[in-house]
Amino acid sequence: MIIQQRQFRPPRTMRSLNSYAVLVLVTCLIGLPLVWFLITSLKQEIEYLAYPISVLPKEPQWENYANALTLIPFYKYAWNSLFLALSFSVLTVITSAMSGFGFSRFQAPGRDALFTIVIALLMIPSIVTVIPQFIVFSRLHLTNTYWPWILWGLAASPFHIFLFRQFFASIPRELEDAAEVDGCSPFRIFWQIFLPNAKPALATSFLFNFVGVWGDYFTPLIFLSDEKTTLAVKLVRAYTDPQGHVLITTTLAACVIYTLPLVILFFLGQKYLTRGVVTSGLKG
Amino acid sequence: MVTIYAHARRPRTRRRTSSRAWRRAIAFYLFIGPWLIGFVLLGVIPLTLGFLTSLTNYDGLNLASIKFVGLRNYTRAFADPDAIFSFWRTLVWSALNTPIWLLLSFALALVLNQRVKGQGFFRTLYYLPSVIPLVATIWIWKIFLEANNGLLNAIISLFRPGTAVPWLSGYALPSLTAIAVWAGLGSGMVIFLAGLQGIPSELEEAARIDGASAWQILRYVTIPLMTPVIFFQLVLALISALQTFVAPLLLSNVSASEVSSPPREIYLYMIHSYRQIFVYQRFGYGAALLWLLFIVILALTLLVFRTARYWVHYEVEIEGAER
Repeated sequence: MIIQQRQFRPPRTMRSLNSYAVLVLVTCLIGLPLVWFLITSLKQEIEYLAYPISVLPKEPQWENYANALTLIPFYKYAWNSLFLALSFSVLTVITSAMSGFGFSRFQAPGRDALFTIVIALLMIPSIVTVIPQFIVFSRLHLTNTYWPWILWGLAASPFHIFLFRQFFASIPRELEDAAEVDGCSPFRIFWQIFLPNAKPALATSFLFNFVGVWGDYFTPLIFLSDEKTTLAVKLVRAYTDPQGHVLITTTLAACVIYTLPLVILFFLGQKYLTRGVVTSGLKG
Repeated sequence: MVTIYAHARRPRTRRRTSSRAWRRAIAFYLFIGPWLIGFVLLGVIPLTLGFLTSLTNYDGLNLASIKFVGLRNYTRAFADPDAIFSFWRTLVWSALNTPIWLLLSFALALVLNQRVKGQGFFRTLYYLPSVIPLVATIWIWKIFLEANNGLLNAIISLFRPGTAVPWLSGYALPSLTAIAVWAGLGSGMVIFLAGLQGIPSELEEAARIDGASAWQILRYVTIPLMTPVIFFQLVLALISALQTFVAPLLLSNVSASEVSSPPREIYLYMIHSYRQIFVYQRFGYGAALLWLLFIVILALTLLVFRTARYWVHYEVEIEGAER
């Protein structure tokens, strides 16, 4: 499962010089908006609005970050985001792994037809289902609660079922046969043999789900009231001055704080992520 | 003797295997149970209701006096100039965004698949925008593209003083493309890199020994071997481009209400459908619009699948080389 870096090396110097030119250019194009974003988050609102613009703030305004945490109940919304992202991701990783295991390891009548449905569901725009779901959930009085996320989590997700199926298919069958001869039940085989061996897939799936829910703007916007909503919704226009103008630099500081956990998660999970993508055959 | 023995044994063996098959079938349904139940409750039922809604004049409140209107909501879409307009904008947007994203992330993967110093650093950096949540991404680009105090115009002003191009309103489509490509480059690149690393180096080596130039190797070895990955990426990119929704919504003026309309240039189909439902409470019509989009997505996806046999090389065994 280790990726081997087999690369072909064309005439050395010229090509690598060209490569570096490309890499540096792309670095600038990707980095410039990011750097500008970080710099601006340290400016005074007046400095940001001034024309012509000044590149650096006269004095870095660290209190933008303090204000970001205090001007709105930041922690409350952060907790809401965390709760939704965490509960959905944990649940959906478990149920998707279970389904993926089922599809990759068992022969049963109807299996192939059901798997075709899983694949077909990948193609249905999520929005086509979300709006009817909204109607159903609101009739059941489940809007403005976190139940929809729990239910979605319990219901697994087609994309991640696919990911786990591909991953489990790469685990040799002998492992399982040996355990079965020893009298291991399918559920113990799953929990004690397959899951511990599926760390890259688990990490990849968890990361994708967590990043997805943490960053989701649309679903909390339509499902949750102002009190129960998440940071993603709040960061659009919650920081305002008394006249109702959006305080841009404070909002940017809040965005930095909001993004940071994902960047940290990404660095922690990076080595699993690459392996997860490769071994689960996400590439097609 | 042997025959009799075998005869005596056979039924028992068969019964054992069939009971094993039974147990395994039950285990299968237990494992996929959560998904299957969820699929029925959260998939089939809402979709059916959504479809039924699209045949009515439901507006969120008139459940008592709801009327069946047949396919009128569907025919109405074809007479709705905004729906037609937004549909064309969506096609233009998809046709612009998909190839640019595919091309750039593939090119980047090619460059980073070579042995270059700092490979890990560049890969990490390029992937970084992919983990930034959309709301933050939009803010990053808003202040970058802002007409009066954005950095881009300030840089251009160094050469042409006083530049104040209204990127976010007058050039919303290219701006949106830039944002989407910037945010998606890393995730595209990672998938392409995974594909490139699955190509056995012997093939490229052999081509080089035969005197093929770098360009020829790329054209006749690498790209054909990568076509399954390109195909997979193309399909996913197309599906998601046609559904683009939140980015243009957020790109519109934030100081107005949250359901404000973005510039006409990026008034995409999903925005139009969303506004029908959540601004005008036209649930029936909105649902019909969404089903029409689904049909278009399905048709386009099938079309792309149809073309696959002309350019996607599945017969080459890439899997075996991975190990």
